[in-house]
Amino acid sequence: MKGAPGEMKPTTDLILRLEKVTKTYRTKGGRFGQAGSRVVALNRISLDVRRGEIFGLVGESGSGKTTAGRLVVRLEEADAGEIFVAGTRVPELKGRRLKQFRRKVQMVFQDPYQSLNPQRSIFDTVSEPLVIHRMGNGAQRREAVAQALKSVGLSPPEDFFLRYPHQLSGGQRQRVAMARAMVLGPEFVVADEPTSMLDASISAQIFNILLHMRDKLGVTLLFITHSLAAARYLCDRIAVIYRGNLMEVGEAGEVIERPRHPYTQALLDALPRFGQCGAVRRYNTLLGAERPASQGVGCAFYSRCGVAQRLLCSTQAPSLRELAPGHRVACHYAEGPGAGTATTEACFYAT
Amino acid sequence: MALLEVDNLSIGYQTRNGTFQAVDGVSFSLESGRSLGFVGESGCGKTTLGLALMGLLPPNGRIRQGSIRFEGEELVGLPEDRMRTIRWRKIAMVFQAAMNALNPVHRVADQVAEAIFTHEPALSREEVNTRVEGLFQLVGVPKDRMRDYPHQYSGGMKQRAVIAMALACRPRLIIADEPTTALDVIVQDQILEETKNLQQQFGISIIFISHDISIVADVCHDIGIMYAGQIVEYGAREEVFETPVHPYTRALLASYPTLNGTISRLKPIPGETPNLISPPPGCRFCDRCPGAGKTCVTARPSWVEISPRHKALCHSCS
Repeated sequence: MKGAPGEMKPTTDLILRLEKVTKTYRTKGGRFGQAGSRVVALNRISLDVRRGEIFGLVGESGSGKTTAGRLVVRLEEADAGEIFVAGTRVPELKGRRLKQFRRKVQMVFQDPYQSLNPQRSIFDTVSEPLVIHRMGNGAQRREAVAQALKSVGLSPPEDFFLRYPHQLSGGQRQRVAMARAMVLGPEFVVADEPTSMLDASISAQIFNILLHMRDKLGVTLLFITHSLAAARYLCDRIAVIYRGNLMEVGEAGEVIERPRHPYTQALLDALPRFGQCGAVRRYNTLLGAERPASQGVGCAFYSRCGVAQRLLCSTQAPSLRELAPGHRVACHYAEGPGAGTATTEACFYAT
Repeated sequence: MALLEVDNLSIGYQTRNGTFQAVDGVSFSLESGRSLGFVGESGCGKTTLGLALMGLLPPNGRIRQGSIRFEGEELVGLPEDRMRTIRWRKIAMVFQAAMNALNPVHRVADQVAEAIFTHEPALSREEVNTRVEGLFQLVGVPKDRMRDYPHQYSGGMKQRAVIAMALACRPRLIIADEPTTALDVIVQDQILEETKNLQQQFGISIIFISHDISIVADVCHDIGIMYAGQIVEYGAREEVFETPVHPYTRALLASYPTLNGTISRLKPIPGETPNLISPPPGCRFCDRCPGAGKTCVTARPSWVEISPRHKALCHSCS
């Protein structure tokens, strides 16, 4: 990914571009006259998503990853910064152009138990976008809905037309939600933790449908997840965010096998390993006890980082630097040999 | 003698359409100081099993047959007043989403103390306070946060407080039902580490219930894979994960993305779990099993011993 302005790739290659996007929420003041506090959900995030890739946005709860997705599909407005989708500035869209935009950009939400209207049949749910956009006549809509259901593996589709969400399993519901997003033939889909409510065997179905969407239908995906393992399986590139700050961006395999940011390393350390893993490298970058946070001036991860140095890290926010081709890291000490204390540990059943 | 011995346990829920056979013919035993993990997908009966061990089945749930022997004493059919002397003092549970169960209007330390007062009324106020302090230290909640209210705690701290509560009466066995599901990975890792430490330190036995294979692989000595109310594969974790034999275990492992090794295409398990109101007469996995034969459909499978520490419930695994 080339981030510097002079290096911008031709716009045809990029489908999404965020430039220094900031979003702050204000909490309501207390009942007894306390002032509300500000929560920075996103802090000057810049990233590019290329056409035809699955881009993973990885972070813990409260990291701002869902906010980023909602800004992209314009469910919310950014406070500052620019968002471009396929070359158009998203925040300026109004009226007819906004409606056109929504045809191209769709979202799949986290919880299929809440995102489907229980009073509507599957046909009504999936055909609603066609009705709203006045596309096709009755027969064409039937055909489009059948196609969309088939593309998410619900077949024969006619069997599902008259069913209601309560008659479906969680995995089927999520596939209906995906069919609803696909029925307009979008170019870009934001999938916000589409499997966090589902069992492993069902998640695998959803993952494979997402791969199908990229490979066969040419859809670009922004995949929001808390699971690095899922991101490794699905994504071409990933970005790791922490408390609204972009920490590391790069090729998925590169970031997971050669993470440069202490936070990414801490995330990897925390995951229980299993499978054919032989030896596991531990980075040990997480501080045993938290120290006082840098008051909004230094690095967001300073309070928990075992690599950080007080003088630099608590006073100066690191900017993203390109350390290997396409691999950018926001850390003052990312060149170091990991934390300097990395160890290798046998996996519990080394083979 | 094993601490806990469960033999041929079956549990049903009464519903309008008939009896839902949530747990069917489950047998296992657990030694002192060992940990046993149950892995399975939603609806496989793992939570029901945990509740039955605590004697806390919901009103429409009933143990249909089998026995649960704890320290040699039969728990099935035990009168409630006797069960109360065992529950929490000897068998404690960390419930699913228990961190939301803390009472918002009481201080966290007082809620832990209440658990001790209720079950050990002979203790004095000072003794209880000292114990609560020790518990907070044990689970890693700073002393100066003891008098806080639950809303002042983070998710991880609440979960620690709930674990402290489960440890309050120094139980022999803790049943942990998805104790880390709602937590972020770093916090989850810390809590799992602490659980392992506590177990070693006090020789507590743990039954760990989770849908996440990797967590169970991390924490437990032995593993039972559950499917549609039955344990289908059981054994030492090394053997179950290294040489899984039951087709369901294999399918489950193949549907799970990992961080190591080559990225191979994940294989979802086709089909749906069977309806447990009228479960299939043969193997419950046969509809979805790639290697199912005729006998699988008609006859109940029996246990096949793979090694002394590893067995599977399958017709074709031998």
